Amino acid sequence: MRNLWLVAKHEYLKIVRQKSFLIGTLGIPVLIIVVMGVGILVALGQRGSLPLGYVDHTGILSESVTPPAPDKGKPPVAIRAFVDEAAAQAALEARTIQAYYVVPADYVESGRVQLFFLDKRPGETVQEDFAAFLRANLLAGQPADVQRRMLEGSSVTFRSMDGSRELESENVIGFIVPFIAAFFFVFAVMNAGGYMLQAVTDEKENRTIEVLATSIRPEELIGGKAVGLMSVGLTQLGIWVLTGVLALLVATPFVPEVQGLRVPWSFLVVVVLFFVPAYALIAGLMTAVGGMVTDLRQGQQITGILNLFFTLPFFFVALIMAKPDSPLLTVLTLFPTTSFVTITMRWAMTTVPLWQLGVSWVLLVTSAVVSVWLAARIFRLGMLRYGQNLNVKTIIASLRGNGLRAEP
Amino acid sequence: MTTVQVSHVSKAFGEVKAVQDVSFEVYPGEVFGLLGPNGAGKTTTIRMMLDIFRPDQGTISIFGGKLTEEKKNRIGYMPEERGLYKDLKLEPTLIFLATLKGIDEATARARLGPWLERFDLQDYRQQKIQNLSKGMQQKAQIIATLLHDPDLLVVDEPFSGLDPVNTRLVKDIIEELRQQGKTIIMSAHQMHQVEALCNRIVLINHGRTVLYGEVAQIKRDFAGNALTIEGQGDFTNLPGVLEARRHNGTWNLTLDVGVDSQDVLRAIMRQDNVKLERFEIAEPSLEDIFVTVVQHAGQEEAAHA
Repeated sequence: MRNLWLVAKHEYLKIVRQKSFLIGTLGIPVLIIVVMGVGILVALGQRGSLPLGYVDHTGILSESVTPPAPDKGKPPVAIRAFVDEAAAQAALEARTIQAYYVVPADYVESGRVQLFFLDKRPGETVQEDFAAFLRANLLAGQPADVQRRMLEGSSVTFRSMDGSRELESENVIGFIVPFIAAFFFVFAVMNAGGYMLQAVTDEKENRTIEVLATSIRPEELIGGKAVGLMSVGLTQLGIWVLTGVLALLVATPFVPEVQGLRVPWSFLVVVVLFFVPAYALIAGLMTAVGGMVTDLRQGQQITGILNLFFTLPFFFVALIMAKPDSPLLTVLTLFPTTSFVTITMRWAMTTVPLWQLGVSWVLLVTSAVVSVWLAARIFRLGMLRYGQNLNVKTIIASLRGNGLRAEP
Repeated sequence: MTTVQVSHVSKAFGEVKAVQDVSFEVYPGEVFGLLGPNGAGKTTTIRMMLDIFRPDQGTISIFGGKLTEEKKNRIGYMPEERGLYKDLKLEPTLIFLATLKGIDEATARARLGPWLERFDLQDYRQQKIQNLSKGMQQKAQIIATLLHDPDLLVVDEPFSGLDPVNTRLVKDIIEELRQQGKTIIMSAHQMHQVEALCNRIVLINHGRTVLYGEVAQIKRDFAGNALTIEGQGDFTNLPGVLEARRHNGTWNLTLDVGVDSQDVLRAIMRQDNVKLERFEIAEPSLEDIFVTVVQHAGQEEAAHA
């Protein structure tokens, strides 16, 4: 066990000190910060500081009727009425307004309005503010609570019959987070697979393997590498999650969609429960591949195909959105390599039944244990095979417990 | 008590019989030579000793019993196929490998300093291994083998890649370890090094033991199979002579097994174009013996084929 931790520490430090790791790990947070920064700048700049004008030919709009202000974030743009287009045009040229709308007399029938601006078209937010102003005016005769309901819309909660899960249509984060988790998982799998393959072929290529074979059990060596790489993965994930949380905190005052978000705890529990065995499964499979081949390049060709088995659910995104409870997706939920990504993406669209979660988890853990065991055997067998690939016959003989049958 | 006892060990890889019925014993405080031509089965024998391969037949005893994980920590192994983590720095690599052998990091660090100094590597401790010369990497591998202070040292070609100064240094270290009571099993192709260092040897050819015993006794047994000749003319292509080498005007002749030196003398005297000035029965070198045994076996095989 001591040697397992020594190998884990060795692998961890070896990888986190690599420039590629630093670039790969810090690059994503930097990207998030840049994207958030640009988003905030766009959000700040969209409304502009100048009011918005309008010319009303319907006679139903009133400057004093405004939609309810949001609880947080920047208040909507100020809206000023003009008697005619000439007055609005003069104000626009004098740059006292950023743009003006002309609402024609047949607006109620046609729904058409015209927007006039000088050189810079107002952003989406300004247009949404004016649309909200129009809706508020059209509903002006209705009772206050009816007005509010019409303007805010409905919030639908989907509940499973057994009451085990519920899904809220308004919970944006509940929809987005599972997809982000699926993408991050695939990214982590690709990363971990690459590192594991490199770690397993490393000792073969640098020829330290024979010395290690007389110092440490193959199970300890592989276990240590897996623990080390999992720690690398968790470090990476921790940095990303921390950056994401910080970015959300910073963005909250500027991006209305982020406000009022709730943490999907049940989803996070499922992610943790599935992530660890899924990671072990990929580590085991990569080790087995690394044990069979002679160098990294050969292994990469095989793992390219292997990665497909983990990313397969992405090819069914349309199906997940349209029919999240289809039989094919149930199969993908239960299949060990596709379970994590399928469950996370289905989580956004439907309530995944508890029995599927349970069976899927048991199958995943079982296959992870088998893959690690198999990997240790194949790794031991392939440890001393410089320049030779393992064939199926040799592997089967080894798995039957015939000892090592490596060629000299 | 023997440090290593190999008893009637055999190992086959499919149809290839790599090792057949090999037996030998190695005792504490001796340097033991494991010799043989390329592909003879030396590495397979070593790997079986170290539990990397399991023998098909026979038994191996290390430190008086089966090789356990604890006993592995008492072994220092430098294989022929060797290397280090090229993209890592020298000091952490050596400390990592030593800690895998059961010693703590502080002890490894304390022991490392003197070794680096002795091998003149102290200025390179924070250098990446890939930046070190081949000779330096070879010295680093020797340190990795010794740092955990093993009781049994198994070294395969310990002098390859070393200059004469460092070859001398490694020889001195092996001798020091022997005097400390450590057991050293050495496989090498430089027969003069083996002759200078080893008390006893086993010579394996085609997977079988062909010579086993004390070096001095083996040389006595093979006396008469080597001749030292001085004179004018060509002394090659004499009947019964396996090899004729000329060095500083003196010919060293290695005779085939069973060939009488007097028959060689008669053959020389029958030649008209030679003038014999010195004819001496020499004590053969280990290299002569190696060549005699291996070539004789080759000729026998060719005859049977």
